Order: sequence, then structure tokens, then C-alpha cells
Amino acid sequence: MNRIIVDNNLRSWLKELAEKYTLVAPVTSDGVTLFKHVKGSQVDSLDLQYSNTAVSPKGCFFPLSETMFSIGSDGVNVIAPVSTDREVVIFGIHPCDAAGIALIDRVFLAEPTDTHYKEKRDRTILIGLACNAPSPECFCPSVGGGPANPMYLDILLTQTSAGYIVQATTGKGKELTPAARMEEKDIPLPPPPHVTPVPLEGVSEMMRRNFDSPYWDRVADRCLHCNICSYVCPCCYCFDIRDYMGKDKIDRVRSWESCQSAGFTMIAGGHDPRPTKGARLRQRWYHKLLYFPELFGDIKCTGCGRCVRSCPVNIDIREIITDVQKLNV
Amino acid sequence: MCSIPAANPFIPYPATVTGLLDLTPDIKLFTVELTDPEQQDNFDYRPGQFAFISAYGVGEGPYGIASLAERKAGLEFAVRRVGTVTRALHELEPGATLGIRGPYGNWFPMEDYRGKNILIIGGGIGIAPLRPVIHHVLDHRSDYAELTIINGARSPRELVFSNEFDLWAEPPQCKLELCVDRGNDEWQGRVALVPQVVSELSPSPDNTVAIICGPPIMIRFVLTGLKELGFSPGQIVTTLEQKMKCGIGKCARCNVGDKYICKDGPVFTLEQILNFMEQF
Repeated sequence: MNRIIVDNNLRSWLKELAEKYTLVAPVTSDGVTLFKHVKGSQVDSLDLQYSNTAVSPKGCFFPLSETMFSIGSDGVNVIAPVSTDREVVIFGIHPCDAAGIALIDRVFLAEPTDTHYKEKRDRTILIGLACNAPSPECFCPSVGGGPANPMYLDILLTQTSAGYIVQATTGKGKELTPAARMEEKDIPLPPPPHVTPVPLEGVSEMMRRNFDSPYWDRVADRCLHCNICSYVCPCCYCFDIRDYMGKDKIDRVRSWESCQSAGFTMIAGGHDPRPTKGARLRQRWYHKLLYFPELFGDIKCTGCGRCVRSCPVNIDIREIITDVQKLNV
Repeated sequence: MCSIPAANPFIPYPATVTGLLDLTPDIKLFTVELTDPEQQDNFDYRPGQFAFISAYGVGEGPYGIASLAERKAGLEFAVRRVGTVTRALHELEPGATLGIRGPYGNWFPMEDYRGKNILIIGGGIGIAPLRPVIHHVLDHRSDYAELTIINGARSPRELVFSNEFDLWAEPPQCKLELCVDRGNDEWQGRVALVPQVVSELSPSPDNTVAIICGPPIMIRFVLTGLKELGFSPGQIVTTLEQKMKCGIGKCARCNVGDKYICKDGPVFTLEQILNFMEQF
């Protein structure tokens, strides 16, 4: 037996949630789907069949740009940014994007805790939607995930012909589940849609052996270092910190950065340990496929396929994974 | 309205510039005290650690701490005017306010070096993070055997801490060797590059630890030179500089291969460096 919520009840529940919480959900506009703050009145028009948003919802916790704090012109008085205690519900997040947040957690929630990230993380509830339209670039099962993987979510909804099967996996999720709007039905979980696998076995070891391969320069030759791969990635988290002068205060602002930026590692005086595109591109793949797995045990990729879709010169992580297995220096 | 938790690791302590000294035409020694006496007392650090200095409105950056905590003479930083933040810092006058966060990173394990000869090799401003090591050895003179310092710069007036050289060379068993890339009319000392001086002096590796800091190119040549003299990789220690934004292992900027300079370093033995995948 599974607990089912039919579409009408789901939408009325979401409208109720929009009253009490800040509701964030995938909104399609001009053919582009993005996670946005939605009002109750927008709930009926939500597209729940979307494949993947153009950008992952990591920005809900790690915004594209945020004022970390301001300092008075005396240089002493710390001014906290105006924020909210209101809880946030992210609805319709796919399992791959929840996995991306869990990967960033490993770094930002480690001691010393990144308080800006944790504060947002603690007041957010994730209601996931099993993905039923993986794109051709997706490979989530190859990196330990799956289109209907309930891990890292508070609640997972899986669409069936009779409504959505509701699985609450955390205490927060169980508390939020709308008992009165659901009914028990003998409807099994549908088999997840097919996703083409990428052969990842032994990739870290092959990376270790091929650091000095000319392969990295060759792939990087066509890279435009536009950074789009890092920005759309659900688990890239490089950041920059800069000061902006206001009228009577100074804002210290953190914003997304990318290890693909020219000069990313250049120190004052001009020395740059990664002066070439090849060295920078290699850094991105090594962080994902070797350094992060060495530190945390998991590959730093969710198989969402965004970087593949977004790269203007078709640099493809699946191709790199396949190629590196064939390299031998 | 929600306030940022007090434990926010990104918020610096307010601090005041209490002293300024020109070390070279483009390097100043800043003495800094945290405004809150309790914070100042609790700011404990070891030789080799670093801290972030904020020049508010311009930005912040990591700087090796050039003072020895035990001397309780305030936090000292040698800052070369080379980028936007350092240029702003050089504009400051005594009494100016800045921000300090830290201390960060690992340190030179001075207790492990007890009874050994200490060979310090510094190039340019690279001698600054080694100054606390020198001060520690001078203050605990009987705990260590010979102290040899090789310090080089591009020109005589660019030698850092020349105001202290008399103290560094004070016998017994202290030796200071200076060198410059280009001399001038008054310069009577060596005109040579630091790695050349190392080879020429041929310090014995017996019971010695070599501690190095300087430009990456100097570090690389000195490492090779010391290896040729028979130093084992475990006897050679250096401190590395990398671009960094957070200092606490988050911003993914300072890694050399799988090592993060901010938390795995900045102090590494050559034994560790030989296992680095990437060039620093």
C-alpha cells in the first residue's frame, strides 16, 4: 500500500504551504524552467513534467550573490543583513539536485560551519519530485543516484496514473505530510525511467595516473572559460568575496566564482600556478572525480547533465570519463 | 530580522594599527592590536600560521604572521605593496582600523626541532613568516643547536628586517648570510641567488632541519640544492602561498592537487610536497 495524493489535492496543499512558507518551485517561462519564489495563485500553472531547470536550486542556500555582512564606516560596527526567519519549502526538486545540495553540505557544514549556508539550510524543507523525463545528457544512476531516489529529500512525490505516491523520509517531512489530503491505495511505485549509464568504475584511479597527460590541454583548447559549467552545476561551490562601498557602510559580498576563470589562482605579484586553460579545466575534473572522492568518498557530480547541455563548445563530462579510462601515460 | 550567529567565521575582529615601520621601499611592518582586549588575549597563534587582514572597502587577504605570540608585542605582519589590498593597507596611518580573522593553518612544529641545527632560508618577503621561528629559537637558545640564516633579496635596500640583523647574528652559534641579486656601491656582501649561496655554504644535513620560504621558483631550486647536499625530504620544511578567499577550506581556491594550503598547510615538508600532484 502506498499513500497517494491526487493532483487537485496536491495543488491545494501547495497553496496552503504558500501561505505559511516561502514556496520555491520550478516555473517555466519562455521555454526556460527555473526555481522561483511562487505565490499561491501561481500554483495551478506549475509545470510538474519538467526535465531539468536551467540552473540548480543551490542558490537557495548559496546565492549567486549575497551580502555576508556590512561594516559601518567606523570599521567596527558589524551590521547583519536583513533576513527572515520564515521557513522555505522547495517543491519539485529532482533527486539529482537534492544530491547536489548534500554534496555542498559536506564542505559548507564541516567545521568551521559556514553560518550563511547553514542558516538557510536549516530553515528549508525539500519536497522532491521523482524525475520522469530525464534528458539525453542525464546519468544520475552512474553516480549513485536515480530519477526516483528519495535520499537527501524530506518528501518524495512519484507520479503515477492515479496521483502522486508520497514518501516522507525525514521527521520534518513526516510532520509536513498532509494526511487528510492523501489516501492509501494499492498502487506500486512505477519503475524509474531509463537513464543511459556512464562507465565510472575505476575513474579515480585512472585520473591519478593521468594527471600529466597532454589530453587535458587538448580538451581545453576549445574551452572559452565562460564558466557556465560551474554556474549551472548543482555541486560546484567556488566563491569570491569582495567589498562594495555603500553610502555609510561597506558591504562584504560573496558571489559565485569558477575555477575556470583566467587568473583564478593568480596571486598579487603575478605568480599563477594554473596559468593555462588546460591546467584549469583539469582542476575542475580532478576536483570532481579524484580530490573530492578521496576526501569524502563520493564523486562530486550528480549526473544532472546541465554542464553538457550548457557548454557552448560541447565539452562533455561523459566523454571525459570515457576517454580517461582509455588513457595511459 | 535575524542576526548572524556570533560564530560566523567570516566576520573579522576589529583591530587597530598600533605601529608602522618601513622595512624596504615597498614593505611595511604593521603592528596590530585587536580592539577588544579579551579577543586580543585569546588570539593565540604559532610560528607559521597566517591571518586575513581586511582593508574595509577594498577587500581582505591572507598574510603570514611575522611575530611570535609569546613576545606579546602585538600581531605583526610584513606587507609588500603589490596588489589592491596591500596598496590600501600601505595608505593607513597608526590608529587606523582594520579587520583581522584567524589564526589559520598549521605551523612549524618547533618542539620537534629541539636539539637540532636550524637552517633558515628566506628570499624577499619570504623571510617574514620565518621570523617567528627565528624569534622562537633566539628566545629558547639552549633548546636548539646552531642557527644559520640565509636571507636574500633583489637588492641591498630590499633585504627585509635589516633592522634586526644584528640580533639574528648574535653569537653564540648564530650565523647570518646575506645575499642580493644586484649589489650597489656600498654593498660588500655576496651578490648571488639564494640557491647558489646554499650550494656554496654546503650546510651539513646532520641533525639539521631546513626551513624555507620565498618565491616559488626560489623554493624549487633550494629544494633541489638541499637534496643534492644529502638532506632527506623529511628534513626540509617550507611554507606555501596560494590565492585564497576564505582561509577555512570552503572557497576551493587554494588547493594544490588534493591539498588545501589553508587547512592542510601552509607548512609542508618536502616529503609531503613530493606527493603533490600539481605544481605550486
